[in-house]
Amino acid sequence: MPSLNLLLQALAAGVFMGALYGLIGLGLGLGWGILKQINLAHFAWVFLSAYLTYDFKTRWGIDPLVSLLILVPAFALLASLLQAVLAKFAITPFNSLMATFGISVSVEALLQLVWSADFRRMPSPYDEMKFRFGGIIVTYSESITVVLAVLVCAWVSWMLYKTDVGRCVRAAAEDADIAQAFGINARQLSLGLAGVCGGLAACAGVCVALTFTLAPSQIFAWIGVVFAVVMMGRLASAWAPLFAGLVVGISESLTMAITAPTWAPLVSFTLLILILLLRRGHD
Amino acid sequence: MLELQNVHVNYGAAPALWEVSMSILPKELVCVIGPNGAGKTTLINAIMGLNRTRLGSILWDGEDLTGLPAHRLCERGLALVPEGRRLYGSMSVHENLLLGAVHPKARAKRADTLEWVCELFPVVKAKLNQAAAQLSGGQQQMVAIGRALMALPQLLLLDEPSLGLAPSIVSEMFNVIQTINRGGTSVLLVEQNVSRALAVSERTYVLENGRIVSSGPSDVIASQPEIKKAYLGL
Amino acid sequence: MTEGPQPWRPQWGMNTVITVMVFALLVAAPYWGLPNYWQSLLYMVFFWVTLSTSWNLLSGYSGYFSFGHGAFFGLGMYGMATFATKLNFGFVSSVLLSGVVAAVLALAVGAVVFRLKKIRGESFALITLAVTFVLATLIVNTSIDGGPGVYLMGVQTPALGPSASSSFYYLGLGLAAVCLLVARFLFFSKAGLGLLAIHDDEDVAQVHGVPTFGLKMAAFALSSFFAGMMGSVHALYVSYVTVGETFNITVPLTVVLMSVLGGVRHWAGPMVGAVLITFLLNAFTDGASALIGRIAIGLILTFSVLLMPKGIWGSFQAWRKARQKAQHRAGSQGADSQSTPLNHVATKAPEASVQPLNWEREPVALRVSGLSKHFAGIKALDGVDLTLYQGEILGLLGPNGSGKSTFINVVTGHFSPTSGVIELAGVGCAGMPSHQIRRLGVSRTYQIPRPFTGLTVLQNVMLSSQYGVSSTTHEQARIQAMQWLEFTGLASKADDLPDELNLHQRKFLELARALAAKPKVLLLDEVLSGLTPGEIDVAVQTIRRIRDQGTSIVFVEHVMSAVMALSDHLLVLDQGRVIAYGLPQAVMRQPDVVKAYLGEGHAELSLPN
Repeated sequence: MPSLNLLLQALAAGVFMGALYGLIGLGLGLGWGILKQINLAHFAWVFLSAYLTYDFKTRWGIDPLVSLLILVPAFALLASLLQAVLAKFAITPFNSLMATFGISVSVEALLQLVWSADFRRMPSPYDEMKFRFGGIIVTYSESITVVLAVLVCAWVSWMLYKTDVGRCVRAAAEDADIAQAFGINARQLSLGLAGVCGGLAACAGVCVALTFTLAPSQIFAWIGVVFAVVMMGRLASAWAPLFAGLVVGISESLTMAITAPTWAPLVSFTLLILILLLRRGHD
Repeated sequence: MLELQNVHVNYGAAPALWEVSMSILPKELVCVIGPNGAGKTTLINAIMGLNRTRLGSILWDGEDLTGLPAHRLCERGLALVPEGRRLYGSMSVHENLLLGAVHPKARAKRADTLEWVCELFPVVKAKLNQAAAQLSGGQQQMVAIGRALMALPQLLLLDEPSLGLAPSIVSEMFNVIQTINRGGTSVLLVEQNVSRALAVSERTYVLENGRIVSSGPSDVIASQPEIKKAYLGL
Repeated sequence: MTEGPQPWRPQWGMNTVITVMVFALLVAAPYWGLPNYWQSLLYMVFFWVTLSTSWNLLSGYSGYFSFGHGAFFGLGMYGMATFATKLNFGFVSSVLLSGVVAAVLALAVGAVVFRLKKIRGESFALITLAVTFVLATLIVNTSIDGGPGVYLMGVQTPALGPSASSSFYYLGLGLAAVCLLVARFLFFSKAGLGLLAIHDDEDVAQVHGVPTFGLKMAAFALSSFFAGMMGSVHALYVSYVTVGETFNITVPLTVVLMSVLGGVRHWAGPMVGAVLITFLLNAFTDGASALIGRIAIGLILTFSVLLMPKGIWGSFQAWRKARQKAQHRAGSQGADSQSTPLNHVATKAPEASVQPLNWEREPVALRVSGLSKHFAGIKALDGVDLTLYQGEILGLLGPNGSGKSTFINVVTGHFSPTSGVIELAGVGCAGMPSHQIRRLGVSRTYQIPRPFTGLTVLQNVMLSSQYGVSSTTHEQARIQAMQWLEFTGLASKADDLPDELNLHQRKFLELARALAAKPKVLLLDEVLSGLTPGEIDVAVQTIRRIRDQGTSIVFVEHVMSAVMALSDHLLVLDQGRVIAYGLPQAVMRQPDVVKAYLGEGHAELSLPN
């Protein structure tokens, strides 16, 4: 049995991972719950953003937090444009999964074309700086991720529940026809929401670049665990992915600390299976 | 104010309305009655742009509505109280009401309108923060009418408001509808409850199997044989 | 007849000749000097053809898209690794055993998952994906692999053909050929029809008697059996098996991609996709173009899902069919138009047969007493009594929300009653599941027609005959189905898809489907709504002829003219209770009934004029 210090360190690592899972899952869940699209391209955007962050830093020395300000609006626009195209085709949620998978495949190959399949790690001062709580070490990068995740969820929550636009978005998601009858332009809102999801992906990508070693094949490695996180909570929710992410992240890292790293996937996927089997049937 | 000229509407792939022509003048209370399956809801949905009109035109103050996207109709002065209420169940009564006042003119005045609606429906005021799905049928109907009123309409479209409600609540509701009409709002009321509808309206159209088979002042319609034939087959 | 899928006889002729020739060519090729590079490439083609065709057996046919094909493939890989190296089994037994192990896993997963109605669509995809990763983790952490992977260098592969790569070439060819044959056979069989019906509407399929659980299990097991066998052969091809290479997301996603591109709703679709994509992937060999090739493939998938949802093969078939129809129509002038009048329905309308004067002496087809159904505090039905005599047409009326549809749903087993007795010709059946009640002789139509959209009109009715009453051969079922189509005037539409029918024809398709099960009691739910007056007349005549053939009918309707013309008796419901029963003219004049329909204050309307 590992020492208390080790367990606490694992807990901290789990919080960080969970925050990242939640951040990635938020965009996926919003798209699924509100736009009724299962957007596999979301993962591609996260990694494209991560690679661009890496590039901006290594080529032009731009600080990742500054890249954030560039990439978020850029990806929001990109996602909006993509939605404008996709919305022309009436497709089921499942078909949207297939169509966006195609985009992921293309983006992964593009990443490999531009940056090669070599592992790339962004050198960052934020990695050197650390906080110390007792015996536990948390890097700046990890803290930034957690803070960003919380801030972003708070912002989404505020937008959805406290603003007029958010209310209209929720109304259109619940009953599109009646929303239209009262003047809500569902199409415009869907473009806006797609943009938000794109921005969320960009933000997650910056965090990934800060803390992980990048490789194009990584896109698909995250799909399983993030889906587990999204399915654990309600779909169109601002905070559920973060909480679910924390549950998964912490259980994974504790498992790794107590047994071995190779057992970690068992946790998230078994959780996913149990959730799918046990939750209330939805329409 | 509202005029339908020779309108043909499909429900999905099948034709549902044929050669429907009707009109509503300002401040009128007009009702459309007919047996189940006659096409009453299709008619209302066609006016609100939720069903496509295949042929014919729907004119609002002279402007043809049939080409407009559905979300542009509310701002022109039409508001819908749909069949089965169709409130946003997961949201509170308050939010449902706010979602009636989406278009700019209504939005500007929404605080005042909300107060007026609460006065009109004390039960709505009492349940303002409750989730809409938790209210009873009658209460939901009041909220649905309130939501439509928040849009500051010139014409209120009501689709079978008495459906599934207890008789006492039905009386109360028809009183409210009359009050609204007296306040200057035109009303198009689609109903299955014939006697109530005839009692409260000035003019009536009778819809059977997708066609208007009879129209005129309500008291005249009440004594005609078409109603008996349409509803009772006699 | 058109060349669409004809489920009762495979097409001998051009297609078969071509297939045999191609197969012979493939068999002979290595002996005629096919270079090793091409043998390896073709092996990969056979590999993907086997995997995607086997995947399609469950996922394409029944619509349960599995993202876990990698699990079965991986079990096959590790099966060979374990059986051949650690347990020293022979080649053939290892291959077969690997297939069996994979099938057992499929059955285990299916036993849990296929019974749960909520596990469909995305949930099924995710669960199967999760199973793959759970399996991978178990394998990497136990002695099966343990981490470093397994070497298969020492295993003896049977020597087939002139070179080392030919062995795999022939193994791959053999598996692919068998898999394709099985897929084709299944597609045209009764079981295949059932799977395709599950794809379109599983609940309705169940009501029609299709054993959905059993079919899904069988398809899943068959699918994973082939995946397992292919995996076991592939293990020898790569000769070094690791968890990372085997259990990643590439295999399941590629398999889905190939099948969707080719067309999932046909046995040959996945083959088309697999051949195309494998050649595309290998056409670019050096680094940069391989990647550009992958970019192209991703975009191709996206666009084909958006623009060609039926896939290449499916779109090709649809195009071929449309062309045949156009030629057919040009050839025989004005043979059928969109609004096919159904009055070329066979023979003269029988005279209205003489009705018994005293119904009470007739045997009872359906008796209901004290039937109640509560939904969360609402009494949808409250103590309803109803007697349907043999050979009677009973009109069931009532205003909106009075419980008519609930009544039909309870009697047919869609809902179980809260209390009360339902007897069909004396046999109690309250609470029985819907397919059992159907077997007892009760059929119904749906207010909004729910045909199987992917099956032709004829196949829709055939399904009902084959799974409905007693076991019939394919040919018998086809003949019976055609008879019902002629009865309802749809014979000329036999090979069309339900989408191509207008509302009237679709309602009559519902009717034909209900009749194909040879019911003793038929429940019609608003079968006339939306029809023109002319169509209503034809429908009324048809309903009379159904009764004259010995079926007793309860029908819910609002078109009063038809109700009055057809009904022997009327039963009126209001708020879940019976408020009137008797002869039509008398019932509609009762003050209670008038009040229910027209509201208070119309009592004066009830006076006879």
